[in-house]
Amino acid sequence: MGGVAWFLLRRACWVVVTLWIVYTVSFILMRSVPGGPFDSERKLPAEIQKNIEARYKLDQPLLIQYFDHLGNIVFRGDFGPSFRLTDFTVNQVIEQGFPVSASMGIFAITFAIVLGTLSGIVSAVRRHTAWDVSFMTAATLGIAVPNFVLASLAIVVFVFQLHWFPAAGWGSLRQIILPALCLGAPYAGYIARLTRTGMLEVLGRDYIRTAYAKGLGEKRVVLRHALRGALLPVVSYLGPATAGVLTGSLVLEQVFALPGMGSHFVEAALQRDYPLALGMVMVYTCLLLFMNTVVDLSYAIIDPRVKIETQ
Amino acid sequence: MHHTVRNSFPYIALAGLFAALAWAVSFGTLPPADFSFSNGDEVKTVDPALAYGQPEHRVLTAMFEGLYRDWPIGFEMDEQGNVIGKPKPDENGNYPIGEIPGMAESYELSADGRVYTFHMRPGVKWSDGSPLTADDFVWSWRRTLHPETAATYGYQLWYLVGAKQYTEGRVELGDLVEIEMPNRPRADQPFPRGDICRAKLLGIARPPEVAPPANASDEEKEDLTSTWRSSWVYVVDHAAVPEASNSGAAKLAAYCKQPGTRDWQQYSTEWLDGARPASLPTTPETCQQILLDFESSVGVKAPDDATLVVTLQNRTPFFLALTAFYPLYPVNRACVEKYGVPDWTHPDNIVTNGAYTMEFRRVRDRMRLIKSPTYWDASRVKLQIVDAMAIKSATTALNMYLTGQLDWVTDVPASVIPDLIARPERDFVPTPVLIIAFYRLNTTRPPLDDVHVRRALNLAMDKQLICDKVTQGGQIPARSVVPPGLPGYKSPLCGAFDVEAARAELAKSKYANQPGGIPKLEITYNTNDTHRAIAEIIQQMWKNNLGIDVELKNLEWNSYLDAQHTMQYSVCRAGWVPDYPDANTFIDMWLTGGENNETGWSNARYDALVKQAAEEPDSDKRLRRMEEAEAILMDELPIVPIYYNTGKNLVSPSVKGFYHNTLEKYPIQLMRIEE
Repeated sequence: MGGVAWFLLRRACWVVVTLWIVYTVSFILMRSVPGGPFDSERKLPAEIQKNIEARYKLDQPLLIQYFDHLGNIVFRGDFGPSFRLTDFTVNQVIEQGFPVSASMGIFAITFAIVLGTLSGIVSAVRRHTAWDVSFMTAATLGIAVPNFVLASLAIVVFVFQLHWFPAAGWGSLRQIILPALCLGAPYAGYIARLTRTGMLEVLGRDYIRTAYAKGLGEKRVVLRHALRGALLPVVSYLGPATAGVLTGSLVLEQVFALPGMGSHFVEAALQRDYPLALGMVMVYTCLLLFMNTVVDLSYAIIDPRVKIETQ
Repeated sequence: MHHTVRNSFPYIALAGLFAALAWAVSFGTLPPADFSFSNGDEVKTVDPALAYGQPEHRVLTAMFEGLYRDWPIGFEMDEQGNVIGKPKPDENGNYPIGEIPGMAESYELSADGRVYTFHMRPGVKWSDGSPLTADDFVWSWRRTLHPETAATYGYQLWYLVGAKQYTEGRVELGDLVEIEMPNRPRADQPFPRGDICRAKLLGIARPPEVAPPANASDEEKEDLTSTWRSSWVYVVDHAAVPEASNSGAAKLAAYCKQPGTRDWQQYSTEWLDGARPASLPTTPETCQQILLDFESSVGVKAPDDATLVVTLQNRTPFFLALTAFYPLYPVNRACVEKYGVPDWTHPDNIVTNGAYTMEFRRVRDRMRLIKSPTYWDASRVKLQIVDAMAIKSATTALNMYLTGQLDWVTDVPASVIPDLIARPERDFVPTPVLIIAFYRLNTTRPPLDDVHVRRALNLAMDKQLICDKVTQGGQIPARSVVPPGLPGYKSPLCGAFDVEAARAELAKSKYANQPGGIPKLEITYNTNDTHRAIAEIIQQMWKNNLGIDVELKNLEWNSYLDAQHTMQYSVCRAGWVPDYPDANTFIDMWLTGGENNETGWSNARYDALVKQAAEEPDSDKRLRRMEEAEAILMDELPIVPIYYNTGKNLVSPSVKGFYHNTLEKYPIQLMRIEE
């Protein structure tokens, strides 16, 4: 297990460097966009504008702001106050928004994995049948149709025609299902296609023929021998997919009025809420790096041919 | 990799997935609210001093109450809150709004219209049970005006004597000043303040100013100036304060905001009456702030718990309406000083004085308001639990309304307005509001520097068509900048749609015979379907009627604001929502160099008329001055008015006590649900 520890240590170093670069680039980009956080249609008297900027330390030189803010994050884990949601600190916004995005994301990714792998397996095993064609058409549609279109259709059918679900909002299980399905649909489509391709490749291998030759039944061969190899591309896709799903989707959050991370992310950038936007970028980056590490580790667990290298 | 690890991995992963799912379905259930409404965008803050905008307005009016409050004229209830008098609508379906007593019971106005004496309502309480007194208003307004509070709407209090000077931190020789010591209990909070001593300002010593490097940006220059200003040394006399135990002798002291200033006696110093005191301290004491003395010099005082005296700079006919506006609401001193900004606004900490208090709040989801038992008029408040939902998308809000999740929607998508108007429930009635939509013309750029071109652009615009085909919400074509509906004010109008006249006007311009024709125009607008559609139709009109080429430029909100503020545009869409119900809010923005002018337009006679109006004691004559001023504006047209907007409230038929009005003031404490 020494290899794993060494691997994690090296990875941790890279994570720190990556985070620092992402932070710095975002900081510079954020500040170079025109407009400031306290602009409004009604221009403020110069004195008041100055007082507000002083309050948020925006009157100090950029370099000092950079080190101050970075220092607070590193030493205190404090992203500072939100400029636009002034009653909250960035940490509080993330604290409130993340669980919402996360529970929706967990539903979405579960739905995507279950539906995607099942239909992928069926399509591969029953290649060129009506099953295959219909599953793969659905998968292509799931990927191609933008989620706001899907959401609108879902609302028309399930909310206004069938009355199964409430139109929007947050707080109950019934309110989470529709957005989770819409969020998960494109991921389900990708997973179905990846599983199918993986399965087709593996099913042609010698060891599968051997398994059949030993007299094993189809179910056992497919689920026990073929699936493990076929799922590798799916696992590597799951890393970024999970990170993406967990941080939420602006469009779905707006359509379904959900208080998740996606709206905070986009709104913060649009409103020049520098600390909140940086906080969101950092959370997303952390999630992505973490998920990638998990994927690399699980690779080694699933596939005996993959070794965690120590060089 | 160990074999057992590998074999158990699928089970571990599965267990993890189930654990995650179990966590994801573990919702706490909320009891349903009596009344839910879509409040538009997320509320930025519920601190009355820092708030601005409509969503903030709706929840602040429910949670806090000013000296007076907005009320539909004629609406009356008995002690139990049963409606016994209903207001009457005007021909547009709007109900007139007036002010009725709130935290104050009555007031007297001095003959010159400058001194208001408010008598506080006896027995009013904060939601923590403590009594609310006149002093709470003095403290709250002082906090709002304090420069470090950085109140966005602080200028709503600048009608008070000395208020502007206090916020700006300007002090002049001979002024009484308040000096705050650098011993604040919490360094990052301006309140509670450090010890304060008062004195008379005798002299200001300024060190030589460092000249900025030739290539310094404006920002660097400002930095230098503010550093320089904070190194000034103030010489004061503590004995000159009225209540000081006066031994006759001066008690001199020197203060400076920057610590460690020594050789200040060599600075060039300005003395009161040119008189330099004989002996001066060598090292100035360090202070946190030096401001105009609030107690003696700013026009708000509480001679006793039940009386509040407000002294204004000039006669201000709309001041009573301002006391009902949230920047002038009181906040609870003990609460603010205990928790600081922004923590005092958290649901667990907040103390309010209005009909409701906050139960909980989830960002971009909802703010749950719960009826306050300590509110003085609680017996007339009918709704117990109110949810203010932060719903950005008007379509989503409409869906939620149609499926019964919301009782009141404050904005609807433009595309469905005709369908909503046709609903048999009659629950959507767009009524005129005091909002003007217009185009700013950059008068510093050719060809818009020519008044004939500006007039031609106005005449060539078929505003009726825009209202009928694009906005479709009952908007009225505009020919003035002040919308109709303000009592006693009659706007002078600019020219109506007339293609012939437009071409004739254009022919008079100096650009008419220029080789290459009229320079191209560019309409700047922010991302919004309606704004784009309007820009496109106007582009067509100007092209077809005048032969002027127009390009469109779409910017996202902050870039659009920046383009407008820095005047990097030729034509720019804009709108104006009044701060208070008076024509002045639409008129004084076009003064030369005004913060919100942003067209480069300047007219000396206009400036003079607006100034005369501000000083005019007779309210009728005052309005005439403003009408004359607007006539100049409508003749020179640095802006082209397009339409007067309408309110887009969709209100469930079961909601009673909702009265449409031009100011969009809808107090929740008046509403009730009746099936």
